[in-house]
Amino acid sequence: MELAVPTPPTRRARGWAIVGEQELRDLWLGGRGMLLGVAFSLLLSIIAYLTATNQALNFLEQREAVNLTLQVAIAVGSLLALLAAADAVSGERERSTLESLLLAPVSRLGITSGKLIAALSLWAAAFVITVPYVWFLGRGVGLVGKAVLLGLVVGTLLAVFLASVGMLISVFASSNRVSLSVSLFLLLAIFTPTQLPSSAQKGWAGEFLLRVNPLTAGEHYVGKIVVNDHSWSEDASWLISPLVAAAVFFFLAAFVGARYMQLGRRASE
Amino acid sequence: MFAATLVAACAALASSGLAVAAQPSGVSVALEPLRIHTELGRNVLVHATFRNNGPAATGSLIAHLNVLSLRSGVEVDPEDWSTHRTRYLGTLPTGGSQTITWKVHAINTGKIALYVAVIPQAGLSSRPATGRTVQLVVAGRRTLNSGGILPLALGIPALLGLMSGGIQVALRRR
Repeated sequence: MELAVPTPPTRRARGWAIVGEQELRDLWLGGRGMLLGVAFSLLLSIIAYLTATNQALNFLEQREAVNLTLQVAIAVGSLLALLAAADAVSGERERSTLESLLLAPVSRLGITSGKLIAALSLWAAAFVITVPYVWFLGRGVGLVGKAVLLGLVVGTLLAVFLASVGMLISVFASSNRVSLSVSLFLLLAIFTPTQLPSSAQKGWAGEFLLRVNPLTAGEHYVGKIVVNDHSWSEDASWLISPLVAAAVFFFLAAFVGARYMQLGRRASE
Repeated sequence: MFAATLVAACAALASSGLAVAAQPSGVSVALEPLRIHTELGRNVLVHATFRNNGPAATGSLIAHLNVLSLRSGVEVDPEDWSTHRTRYLGTLPTGGSQTITWKVHAINTGKIALYVAVIPQAGLSSRPATGRTVQLVVAGRRTLNSGGILPLALGIPALLGLMSGGIQVALRRR
């Protein structure tokens, strides 16, 4: 006879849903998420206004305007997810709420998964905010559908990667300040190759660096499709590192993060 | 007759010790259409047919599409106009032909020239065979009406701000 006894996987699934719901409430009803959303929309408004009012905007530059807006949206949207995830465990620890969370009848995997989902909701909101701007800039050149879908695919991969990195740092950081500082430093390090002169980005070493870095690879892929009108499959190899990074770091954040989540961390750690 | 004269002239030059640039022998390039009118941002197709009119099969051939402006002062970056401008045709048997289609993106307004050159893959000293020039006339097109940007740029942050304020007020009233 089968009884309706919750099996461990069901309990785990409900656990992440409960943690996720609670985290989403804190983030969005607490006002932090909406405030970040307003700031994000202001940034996109400034970029869209400056590009759209450029009188010399020709066809190619219009595509570049869509590309710029999309790339900023992906980068900043992923940054928001990273910051939210970097606060996930170290923030709870610092606010002395991690103990009650660990004592709750929820698996640690449920905690890390729920918190990752909440962090990724910031990227989802950023993406929704981006759509009208991309529509406005790309409507004359038949680029809207492609750009929106591209932003969703590449942005989600990068947001999953960065949020997972933020979560891992947060699990191992001794304080919230350390977690946020290390996350921001890492983000800057990941962005550094985009500032290299174009001559340094050429050759096998330059291309290897761009391909290995998930952020530069993802943004390169976006640029090739939006500006150069390449097909989706033409530069698909550039999506390998964002895809691998998202999968590997999501696994690490969810499972390794859950395994090593502790109430206290020594300052030296 | 002309070909025989040309071959004889080349042989004479070669025997005199001068380097002679050979052309992919007997390969003709035919482009169509030769005149295209389009608008900024549109795509047009250019077909090139390569035919081997020579007595023997060709070696492997490479075809390359070139793009340039007929007016000075107009900057043209061929990469933006057409991706995959270089195509590897392989060999053409005697009397055989192959047609390649290039998708060309009209990036600038004005009069643009397109032409295709063919060279043998193994013959760096060869002179390329070219077809006739395609003239592309690109008319302007207004693609972005910036008039609506201000309501959008102000409206979205304002809407989000109002939503945020509304949620906070509703939560406090509870």
